[in-house]
Amino acid sequence: MAGIKELRGRITSISNIQQITRAMEMVATTKLRRFQDRAISSRPYTEEVAGLVGRLAAVLGDSVADRPLFNAGGGDRTLCLLVTSDRGLCGAYNSNLLRFTEQWKDELGREVDFFVYGRKGATYLKKRGHTMARFLTEPKLESIDFTSAAITARMLTQEFLSGKYRDVVLMFSVFESMARYQPTAAPFLPISADALGAEEVVGGSGVILEPDAESIFDSLIPRYLETRVYNTLVESLTSEYASRRFAMKNATDAANDMQKVLKGVYNRKRQEGITTDLLDIVGGAEALR
Amino acid sequence: MADAISLRVITPDSILIDAPADSVRFPGLDGSIGVLPRHAHMVAALDAGPLSWDGPDGKGEMFVAGGFAEVRANTLRVVTQSGELVSDIDVKRAEASAERARDRLRVSGTAAKAGELDSLRAQAALRRALQRLRVAQSR
Repeated sequence: MAGIKELRGRITSISNIQQITRAMEMVATTKLRRFQDRAISSRPYTEEVAGLVGRLAAVLGDSVADRPLFNAGGGDRTLCLLVTSDRGLCGAYNSNLLRFTEQWKDELGREVDFFVYGRKGATYLKKRGHTMARFLTEPKLESIDFTSAAITARMLTQEFLSGKYRDVVLMFSVFESMARYQPTAAPFLPISADALGAEEVVGGSGVILEPDAESIFDSLIPRYLETRVYNTLVESLTSEYASRRFAMKNATDAANDMQKVLKGVYNRKRQEGITTDLLDIVGGAEALR
Repeated sequence: MADAISLRVITPDSILIDAPADSVRFPGLDGSIGVLPRHAHMVAALDAGPLSWDGPDGKGEMFVAGGFAEVRANTLRVVTQSGELVSDIDVKRAEASAERARDRLRVSGTAAKAGELDSLRAQAALRRALQRLRVAQSR
């Protein structure tokens, strides 16, 4: 019977693919959990540093705006840290972000240099002829830790201070929920004094500062920037794995549906074959009589 | 004591210590600073060095690699990029990193111009490593 063999072949290959997508879904789920844990365990540090920055900014008052890193750089270009993934099969995660980046760049109307995490972003930028100033591959995105995020933050700050750039922007996917990852461009440098959330200090200037507000503030700011970069990376990774898990779950479900339909067709064909065979036999026997 | 300070040491990876204390000493930039309960609001930058405390649950000592401390509302929060309890200090690793820092200083000492920032960094690394060793050996 024509087609029945092909059908059987397709059903097996679909179930093979389904096994793979199901395995990938499970891997993505565990990794997702790991990155969520990491985001949670770094939160006290981040909050404490941000709180300190805010309280010190309140002590310093308006003079904050005159400190280094608080004013636009001398250059006319923009530096953008773009965080994409190394591997595909994660739904629209990369393409959404890259489309957003393209749009953002058009609206900005300035020359943009890119620092890139993730092979997907690097290939895309190269293909489109954008300036990729640096492709950050070491360490691999997945094994990122606070120290390497700190190195990246320092690198970005140095580039900003070199006078080539006007500002620095972080381009990444904000993890909003298991099924929503919002591409976002967050200003990194110069720091806007408003973003620090200067709190009113209870008791006014009664804070003892050791050695003094300016030096504490200036050594605190790099730590603050490091936490920003670290959070950006962790958030991107969380989005990536949530997106991958979602895509793989959809693929597994789709494979299930497809298999059901194909199995229906296959069984019908098989029964048809049996019926015609039977008719042939009965017809033959009838004719011999 | 009823109004013990609550001491928290926070690193990017975890909260290392969360314990009540009757007195705490930590390494300020201009020398060691001691804090007793009901201290006024204070913010201090830290040097690499030993942080020790004495509390109802006993004494303790650890190493902090710089960072910041804030006393507020009878809580002392220390944020540091890395720190270890005395028992967790890896003496071999600290010795190795001290040796590495010395090497780097030797090299950048000859090529002073290019390595000004590098040599500052190496000095800082050396100080951290030596402090770590000192804390480990004072036990």
